[in-house]
Amino acid sequence: MYLVAHIDQAICSETACRLCTQYCPEANTILYDNAAKTAFVAVDRCKGCEICVGICDDLAKHHAIKMIMITDLESPFELSKEGFRPEKWDGNHP
Amino acid sequence: MSVKNISITPGWEKYMTKEYLDLVERGPYGKQKKVSEMGSFKEVLEEHPMCAGCAMTLFIRLTMVGLPNPEHTILIGTAGCGRLALTQTSIPFIYGNYGDTNAVASGLKRGLEVRFKDQAKDVVVMAGDGGLADIGFSAVMHSWFRKERFTTIMLDNEVYGNTGGQESGMTERGALLKMAPKGKMFEKMDMIGLAQTAGVAYIARLTPTNPTRVASVVRKAVLIAREVGPTFIQAYTSCNIEYAIPTPKVLDDARDIEAKRYGFMEIISDEAKAYLDSIDTAKKAKK
Ligand SMILES: Cc1ncc(C[n+]2csc(CCOP(=O)(O)OP(=O)(O)O)c2C)c(N)n1
Ligand code: SF4
Ligand code: SF4
Ligand code: SF4
Repeated sequence: MYLVAHIDQAICSETACRLCTQYCPEANTILYDNAAKTAFVAVDRCKGCEICVGICDDLAKHHAIKMIMITDLESPFELSKEGFRPEKWDGNHP
Repeated sequence: MSVKNISITPGWEKYMTKEYLDLVERGPYGKQKKVSEMGSFKEVLEEHPMCAGCAMTLFIRLTMVGLPNPEHTILIGTAGCGRLALTQTSIPFIYGNYGDTNAVASGLKRGLEVRFKDQAKDVVVMAGDGGLADIGFSAVMHSWFRKERFTTIMLDNEVYGNTGGQESGMTERGALLKMAPKGKMFEKMDMIGLAQTAGVAYIARLTPTNPTRVASVVRKAVLIAREVGPTFIQAYTSCNIEYAIPTPKVLDDARDIEAKRYGFMEIISDEAKAYLDSIDTAKKAKK
């Protein structure tokens, strides 16, 4: 098993600075939920590099991202299954 | 400008992949997207097999956001790591033989100008430091001297990443690599100086530490190449594998190298500057 990035929505939505998604090397991996004003991770695309953790901790100074075991996610969001459909995003991310 | 090039023939939607449908409906076509909008639109770059945390991957991703007209762009690449991602975009990609990129791009751009008189087509070469400064060196220099109107982007990881760590002309003197065990014995090549000598209209050197800047530099380079002359971007895009950089530290490394020897630099000709200003003036007048 492996680690993926996980965003704490409560912390992120306080500012939703959108910095992490600009620095993630992978395309459409940290997505942005306009309704809930939070970033969230498409775990099927996350390669576990931890760059976003450093961005949120050191640049944004928000500490909203942690690396967690993929098996510990209850209902992981997978872009390949859901498609890129922002109109359906409603804050219900794992 | 239109999305006609990528739109789906009516009735065929059900045969297209989700990714493609999303791209047509929620992609970056028709209006230049901003870096601050990333995460809210479908990017032209898909999944690809480049290494986790690779700075080159990040740079390519940001480049795609900076392209002024992705629907009228053709990418040229070659052997090396970058093409692993460049081939996974919804932008036509031509695989030049290692060393041939700028010769292929020259012919292609000239052909496109003849074929599409009313529609500007942007040609962008993206290849490694080995591909452009070593084996492709002659074709790169000649395309510049001939003032060919396309953009050359060097993904400078200062090593042959794809083949396991040989030194390139762009490697720093003294760098120890798997296949340069005694350390490189010669200086890093001054491609910026050579581009100036060859009269390149717009030259930029940067790292991926500032995403907005990457997109803006790419946009300028592509626009200037369209109307004025050759443009060159040299980007530090570390290879975390060959330089043993732990992935969480990849951006720290980029900031460090940027501060020490790879600071942001832009050299623009008077003609290119006047052209950019005219675009800005036209944009403001429209508002
Ligand atoms: C004519 C030719 N010679 C050698 C090779 C083998 N080759 C493939 S990739 C590569 C090195 C790539 O290095 P660089 O251009 O710096 O790109 P990077 O992989 O570092 O991004 C080489 C030598 C080749 N494909 N074609
Ligand atoms: S950097 Fe942190 S606070 Fe900012 S959008 Fe990302 S997760 Fe949220
Ligand atoms: S760990 Fe790496 S790949 Fe995963 S979301 Fe963070 S920056 Fe992107
Ligand atoms: S080998 Fe180096 S340059 Fe190539 S994808 Fe991996 S980290 Fe990036």
